[in-house]
Amino acid sequence: MSPRRATSGGLIDRSRSVRFTFDGQDFTGHPGDTLASALLANGVSLFGRSFKYHRPRGVLAAGVDEPNALVTVLRGEAREPNIQATMLEIRDGLKVVSQNRFPTLGFDVGAANQLGGKLIGAGFYYKTFMGPVIGPLKGTRFWMFCEHFIRRAAGLGHAGTAPDPSRYERMNAFCDVLVVGSGPAGLMAAKAAAESGARVMLAEQDARLGGSANWSGETIDAQPANDWAAGMVRELAALPNVTLLPRTTVWGYYDGNTIAALERVTDHKASPRAGEPRQRHWTIRSGKVVLTTGAFERPLVFPGNDRPGVMLASAAERYAVEYGVLPGDKVAVFTNNDGAYKSALSLREAGCRIVAIIDVREELSEAVRALAVRTGAEILSGRAVTGTEGGKSLSGIKMQAFNAKAGAVSGDPRTIEADCLLMSGGWSPVINLASQAGAKAEWSERLQAFLPPKEADGWVGAGGFNGAFSLEAALAEGLAAGGEPDGDTPAVISYELDMAPAPVFEIAAGGKAFVDFQHDVTADDVRLAHREGFQSVEHLKRYTTLGMATDQGKTSNVPGLAIMANALGKQIPEVGTTRFRPPFAPVTIGALAAERYGEIRPERLTPMHDWHIANGATTYSAGLWHRPMIYGLPGETVEQAYVREAQTTREAAGIADVSTLGKIMVQGPDAAGFLDRVYTNMFSTLPVGKARYGLMLREDGLVLDDGTTWRLGEQDFLMTTTTANAGKVMQHLEYLLDAVWPELKVQLTSVTDQWAGASIAGPVSREILAACVTGTKVDNETLPFMGIVYGEISGAPVMICRLSFSGELAYEVYSGAGHGTHVWEALIAAGKPFGLVPYGLEALGTMRIEKGHVTGAEIDGRVTARDLHLDWMLSKKKPFVGSMMMDREGLTAPDRLQLVGIMSLDNRPLNGGAHIVEELDRDNPHGSIGHMTAACYSPVLGRHIGLALVKGGKSLHGQRAFISDPLRKRFGPVEIVSHHFYDPEGRRMHG
Amino acid sequence: MVDQLSPLAPVLRPGRHALADHSVGVTLTETQPGSIVQLAAWRGEEGALIAAIREVAGLALPDGAGGGVSTEAKAGFGFAPGKFLVVDQDEGLAAAFAKAVAPETGTVTDLSHGRTAIRIAGPKAEWVLAKFFATDFSLPAFPLGSGISTVHHDIFAQIQRSGADEFDVYVFRSFARSFWKSLCHASEEVGYEVL
Amino acid sequence: MIITCPYCGPRDSSEFVYREEGGRIRPDQASTDQAAWNAYVYDRVNTAGEHDEIWQHSGGCRAHLRIVRNTVTHRIVSVAFARDHGRPHERRKAETPA
Repeated sequence: MSPRRATSGGLIDRSRSVRFTFDGQDFTGHPGDTLASALLANGVSLFGRSFKYHRPRGVLAAGVDEPNALVTVLRGEAREPNIQATMLEIRDGLKVVSQNRFPTLGFDVGAANQLGGKLIGAGFYYKTFMGPVIGPLKGTRFWMFCEHFIRRAAGLGHAGTAPDPSRYERMNAFCDVLVVGSGPAGLMAAKAAAESGARVMLAEQDARLGGSANWSGETIDAQPANDWAAGMVRELAALPNVTLLPRTTVWGYYDGNTIAALERVTDHKASPRAGEPRQRHWTIRSGKVVLTTGAFERPLVFPGNDRPGVMLASAAERYAVEYGVLPGDKVAVFTNNDGAYKSALSLREAGCRIVAIIDVREELSEAVRALAVRTGAEILSGRAVTGTEGGKSLSGIKMQAFNAKAGAVSGDPRTIEADCLLMSGGWSPVINLASQAGAKAEWSERLQAFLPPKEADGWVGAGGFNGAFSLEAALAEGLAAGGEPDGDTPAVISYELDMAPAPVFEIAAGGKAFVDFQHDVTADDVRLAHREGFQSVEHLKRYTTLGMATDQGKTSNVPGLAIMANALGKQIPEVGTTRFRPPFAPVTIGALAAERYGEIRPERLTPMHDWHIANGATTYSAGLWHRPMIYGLPGETVEQAYVREAQTTREAAGIADVSTLGKIMVQGPDAAGFLDRVYTNMFSTLPVGKARYGLMLREDGLVLDDGTTWRLGEQDFLMTTTTANAGKVMQHLEYLLDAVWPELKVQLTSVTDQWAGASIAGPVSREILAACVTGTKVDNETLPFMGIVYGEISGAPVMICRLSFSGELAYEVYSGAGHGTHVWEALIAAGKPFGLVPYGLEALGTMRIEKGHVTGAEIDGRVTARDLHLDWMLSKKKPFVGSMMMDREGLTAPDRLQLVGIMSLDNRPLNGGAHIVEELDRDNPHGSIGHMTAACYSPVLGRHIGLALVKGGKSLHGQRAFISDPLRKRFGPVEIVSHHFYDPEGRRMHG
Repeated sequence: MVDQLSPLAPVLRPGRHALADHSVGVTLTETQPGSIVQLAAWRGEEGALIAAIREVAGLALPDGAGGGVSTEAKAGFGFAPGKFLVVDQDEGLAAAFAKAVAPETGTVTDLSHGRTAIRIAGPKAEWVLAKFFATDFSLPAFPLGSGISTVHHDIFAQIQRSGADEFDVYVFRSFARSFWKSLCHASEEVGYEVL
Repeated sequence: MIITCPYCGPRDSSEFVYREEGGRIRPDQASTDQAAWNAYVYDRVNTAGEHDEIWQHSGGCRAHLRIVRNTVTHRIVSVAFARDHGRPHERRKAETPA
């Protein structure tokens, strides 16, 4: 038997054992245990070391509010730090290690920090890293050296560097009513809402539904509360319109009742099922949200309140009743309210000895006195705990007389032997989610707590969340929140307790009294911050880091405010409260990323993709598309491959996959007129069966995109865009049609995926087509430059347009995407006798640079049509989008960057992005007159060439300049030339 | 006539997968319709277009946003104001509509090669689809026969409910393989069979 | 945030993209009033409060929507098709057609 496991009781499964390790040591527990309950049952009280002072810390709470007992879970190579032992269910094989200690938890050299406590108080970092203002170490350099060591000493667990192999998923859900929290109020609300026919979801962060019913020891409907809760859960689970989500923490409440929740799906399983995600991230859109999130018990702030063995009264009660674990043999209680008396009685009934109940209040009610008598404890009212004794675990407490009104201790201390101290400083409703939703909290003088507002948009609260701490009230409010305000609530037997606390938060008696346990913020730190001038609660938080640890101040916010208010001489509501922000509890990055992990973008593949891969293509991504870069032969470098491909294309023929070009069907009686408005040149005059190159501007007159548009019918146009701008152009056109010119009858459809495109270029391309195309001739007369014909290739219908990007005689062969590979293979076969080669993007880029065609590298959102020497495309006969803005002063200034060609004069490669300068200064690069946009080795010219945007443009043709690329250390002489390197008259493509 | 080559061909593995300890939660099928046609009506001409759909495809589309009908061989549904997707297992639907829809009524756009149709059916179909799309797939919100347009990251989808537990998802062909892989991955949790 | 598209019904805001401030009139295509063009392209009111906006349901029906949204509270006051300039539209039907 474990040393602290009660002989009976608890909701754990005593028939089975679970084996796990903590810091390498083997332990056993039972299914239903958390790591905290299992370790406590094994007599472990030391869980970790504190953030700054490395003080020994035990477990303070029993749930999501735990600030101290943080551990690191090892999963294979992956490690997950800062997991609350109170939320971690044990399973066979679970491996856990403690944090922030060196070399071991029991003997930690960092504990020496406690001696220097005065030096590392509030604002330590802000003061320290300014560096000394005088002396030999003046300045920050020395302190930056120290910072490394200081930061290492401070902190919680550290993240691993191994990839997390776990699977995470995201899930979307919709419901009418989302109930957050499955305590008595939540169960009543869910049941009432479900019976009304609503779609209900019930999220509970713990493994077991039922909330306080699992440990309150009360009676509902003539049965123990936990049995009643289990019965309710069974009924709800059987309803088709109810979804129960245990182990699901609602962490974010966003606009429009969009709720973020994290479900721990397999963390508690020794062997998850195939395909199950470790965690599932839920985005729930709910018509109404019912907040039954209960309340957190608050610690009292007194010297030594962080010693292992000191815990919240309700937490101890929960360990005893729900887990059958006795947190101590000799238990003392320190409280400012009635609630702790019930906890004491529960512990007594579970088998603990209650040695003393110390209450700051002078006067106690009859009901409470009667309860106290039943615990067998010595009742010490009007007194306070002023210190704790023991090393790494509690051995005794010091107690003195206390005047609650004056907040002052007096008299001689008395020591009471105890190995566990229960404390209760009142209760704070868990209003975090309501606060995220925008609710302004209201201070209750009676409950000494912030309550949610009565009226709210989108949510309704019930039970402890509202400050209604009695079981009767929770059930009735839950029923009302579920939509049945007049329904009957089950009969209950519970204690009559007044949960309103005396307004005592701190016992000031010298020594470290902790407010924020996780960030090691003491009451003195708060006062120090005040003395140093921090008056606003927001500043206080940031300066002391109070409430800014991973627990988000669940136990520390209100005590911190109270101490601040006291220092300021103000009332708590005057000091204000801070707004809670998501997440309510830590969320793994993995769950947020979910399927967007690793290869995060979907692959977009052309119809011929598999052929490319099977035929030696090296691909790279262009946006989402995967496109062939080169089809390298064995032993070839990338440059050798693209030079061979481009050269062969210019000398014989090459074929490239151009399926990625954006394609938009523009249809309707107003289609031609619409194109006249959006292109800078005329399209209404384009005959059916012909294509035209078009240029589009943005509303501000800069170039948006270019491409060819084919007139397939009187009212049908096939517009092509660059691969990169397909989506942008579509949105631009849709906006104009929908929001600006709704009277135009034009229909736009993305048909990029409908067509497979193969560009076949080179002097023998016509012969290749003639060899395989049936149903049409392809001679110059039938298929002139920019003409379109329809035919078949190997039985598949094709549409062929004669246009050229490479400058050669060239055709684009379009077929249905499902026929793409079939047609491509037929073209390859037909081209074999003619020396046809497939070419990739590198060769395509080379040939377009030689030809001086612009692409996205030049159309960078800053250039005008004139900058690119495309002014011949600007129609003077009609207005078009951008026509009134393109002639503005700044867009026609003579010193604009304009397109030129660049030729390397040192026979070395050029780089895109390099600057062009008139005079070379390697040591102090300056005087840029422009930059390179693209570069390649030109097989035609036998030189390294490129395109550039340069001030002065054409006027510099024939001049010498330099490239200056200090990052890549490439400097050298170049000549500025025309961007038309190759066949400027276009004889080849018109031939 | 040349058959269409499916973009899923190299990754479609018929059979049961990930069934170690559960039954088949969903079945996944590429339905490979012969025709997928988009029809769009000019404003005020929606009735005439719906009449043309009834005449050509024999589908009586109900009024209202997203209204649709799904039969064994044919299906149609609205997916945007005045816009409909009509699908036929046989080829030739686009040509038939081109004759039947007058230019003053609206437009006909053939997408038979441009969209890939994937059917997801079974008791866990809603569950698996909910992993991808922020859309309410429950029967009251997504009635039988009706359709929606939605998106999963960069992947556009038009989805029709073809049965109580059955959905037809139309995605852009170029994304189909990526989507299929994700769909199989997401279905592992519930066990799946590829038909 | 949820935006109720007049065609598609309530959808997650991730399906929508903000395009433009609403209520701005583009000068006539043939207008040569440079000041009017400058104002159209560059001037925005940037309201703190109820703001007239044009969004596109880009991950749905792709219609442009005229949305009045409170930029302080994020509350959506109204949604209509942009091309209707505020005319109410029929909502998505919830019943299975007979």
